[in-house]
Amino acid sequence: MTDHQSTDAAATAESHPTPEPHPDAHPSGHGVGGLVEVRGLRVRFGAVEAVSGIDLDARPGQATALLGRNGAGKSTTMRVLAGVVPPTEGTVHVAGHDLRTDRLAAQHRLGYCPDVGGLVPRATPWEHLQLAARLRRLDDWEDRARDLLERFELGAVTHRVTAGFSHGMGRRMSVVLAAFHRPAVLLLDEPFDGVDPLGVEATMDVIADARAAGACVLVSTHLRELAIEACTTALVLRGGAQVADVSAQELAGEDGARAYRSLLD
Amino acid sequence: MPTGRSWTDPIADVGSLVRFRFGAARPDRPGGARRTRLLIGIPAAITLAVLLVPAAAAGAGSREGYALDLLVILPTAATAFLLLTIVSAVASGGGRELLSREHGVAYPVSPVTDHLGALLMAPLNIAWLVQGWLLLGLTSYGAGWRALLPAELLMLLFLAAATALGQVVGWSVEAVRRARYGVVAYRGLVVASLALSAWLVATDRLVDVLSASPTVHLAVAVARIQDGEAGYPLAVLGVLVALLVASVLAGIVPATLALRRPPRDEARLESGTHRPRGDARSDLMALARVDLSSVLRSVPLRRGLLTLALLPGLAALGGAIAWDMLILMPGLVASGAALLFGVNAWCLDGRGALWRGSLPVDPDLAFVSRAGVLAGLLMAASAVTIALGSLRAGLPSAAVLVALLCAWLVVTLQVTTASMRWSARAPYAADMRSARATPAPPAVMVGYSARLALSTTLLGLLFSTVAVFGVWWLSVVVAAPLLAWWWRRLGQVRRQWSEPTTRSRVAVTVAA
Repeated sequence: MTDHQSTDAAATAESHPTPEPHPDAHPSGHGVGGLVEVRGLRVRFGAVEAVSGIDLDARPGQATALLGRNGAGKSTTMRVLAGVVPPTEGTVHVAGHDLRTDRLAAQHRLGYCPDVGGLVPRATPWEHLQLAARLRRLDDWEDRARDLLERFELGAVTHRVTAGFSHGMGRRMSVVLAAFHRPAVLLLDEPFDGVDPLGVEATMDVIADARAAGACVLVSTHLRELAIEACTTALVLRGGAQVADVSAQELAGEDGARAYRSLLD
Repeated sequence: MPTGRSWTDPIADVGSLVRFRFGAARPDRPGGARRTRLLIGIPAAITLAVLLVPAAAAGAGSREGYALDLLVILPTAATAFLLLTIVSAVASGGGRELLSREHGVAYPVSPVTDHLGALLMAPLNIAWLVQGWLLLGLTSYGAGWRALLPAELLMLLFLAAATALGQVVGWSVEAVRRARYGVVAYRGLVVASLALSAWLVATDRLVDVLSASPTVHLAVAVARIQDGEAGYPLAVLGVLVALLVASVLAGIVPATLALRRPPRDEARLESGTHRPRGDARSDLMALARVDLSSVLRSVPLRRGLLTLALLPGLAALGGAIAWDMLILMPGLVASGAALLFGVNAWCLDGRGALWRGSLPVDPDLAFVSRAGVLAGLLMAASAVTIALGSLRAGLPSAAVLVALLCAWLVVTLQVTTASMRWSARAPYAADMRSARATPAPPAVMVGYSARLALSTTLLGLLFSTVAVFGVWWLSVVVAAPLLAWWWRRLGQVRRQWSEPTTRSRVAVTVAA
């Protein structure tokens, strides 16, 4: 993101009320424990091992980028964290809940934007939000939903079925659905893919708001520059295994690009 | 680079698409080869049985009794088949697609290829199969062993020619429907057809019209074959071959016209707005609302359900079918409705399956919602058929009425259970936006159609037989264990769905 965009993002953030700190956030702004704790995660689909031993800790207020080539295991890891795909081996705790034994409680605390689509084709954005609000036991959710739809420039299509949406509109709506209940753990899988600059800006705002409220954010993306912009740490995956767990700044600039490139081979 | 295309290219393209689509049945999966053998083997076995078994029965090929009666009704049954091919082609937007629009958009699939592919896909619906088997069975019994081979050759040619002719009408209507003000013109055409049918029934002219149908030559040809005459049957054969070739070629023109125009029904549905409703009063209701909307807002599903609910009912009404025959209707309608989407019920979520999987909801509740919506739609479609058919059927006896109600409940539960089992076991990514879409690959649809047709027809025949005894409680006694059995099977499928590995496999597949 350019400086100009950063300034715009800051201005946009200022125009929205500061989110309430998340219940899991420590008063100092640092978490008291990991909101996401993954130990020895392995996921196998038949003979194929999609994830082969990942450890991950993500704390309140922290944004972690999952980086890597196609097939590195980023999306599978995100699907496991969202409770959609069960781990073959290892333990996964989300907001203190073991995904194997307490999946529903964990899913109450997380928001997930999947890498593909993420929208029921013949339901409208409002119906998606209505269903999520009902299942997440949210009261007075309508104002927040309208605000997010406007911020992501989806206000005009609130009551249109999503089958007619462009790819970018679908991505933006998926981010809205992931973020609108202010989850403790925000999982965004390829949120910037095919999204216009205004959509990218709105997504950056959502990530910043979530971090300010004490949530932990995981962003899986191919776009290194945006990942560095949005995140504090980065986990680089290759062939289903993690090859680096570094500060996002270490991957910034040309040196960072070279370092990142060397990690992919 | 040469860009000129030979006239044989579309045929070669169809071959490639068939290999691609039939390959989607995944014989490489564990147990996949056995499943593929079953999928192809069951319909093939049924076809062989209806071709051979009636001819070996007592009285087959006789010029009197039941064999003669069947030859007399053969032209009417053939006309009904022709109407069915027309309605199927019209309801499916010209014809089912061999390659989905989304997958085919990057490839130069010509309208000719699309037309030939739709012709191949036409038999893959339950009504076509059941009616086709019925005609082959009637011919087999009517002709007997001696005339079997040439008679069935004529009938197979008729099935092919009628299908190609239906396709011509289907593409033509679709070309009109996709034109400016086409939807209005199409609705006017439907109303006019219904009015004409009602007038024919009300003025008792339906039988006269059916008697004047050219299909009467089929029955005459079969009779002449039995007499050892060759000239007349050969002339009929020639006409059928000419009709088949002409229809296949003629279909190219309206197909090209239709496929060059934008699909207005789908565009209207995707760009229209839906007024928000109040919050649901329970989680189940909230899930069921989205599930039901996913069906009713899909062009192929809405159109298919309407056709399935109305067409058999109107046919029963026109033919003044008796109550004991109406017992067979719920099975036919429920099977057809299940083949629209039920056999791959989770595909309704499409790419939203992963998001739905991340929502904090008991998987049992999601299962109950999906199975409930499916069962409700099957029951509603059958109810419309029964209601229409009952209008001219007089007052039923208590035994027949109870048998009908029991058959209705049993086939609904059986079809729902089978559909939910297949949906969990073999999910497919299917985009149900296009009016021409099917929920599973062609080879799989053949297997599902045959299995549903066989099981629901047998159940219908069982309750028809029970009704003959005239004792109302006998149907309840027969239905109770069947309901208990399939309720138990449905419970097994629900437990299978509650396994995270099953749900994740389904979600990842349908969202792909």
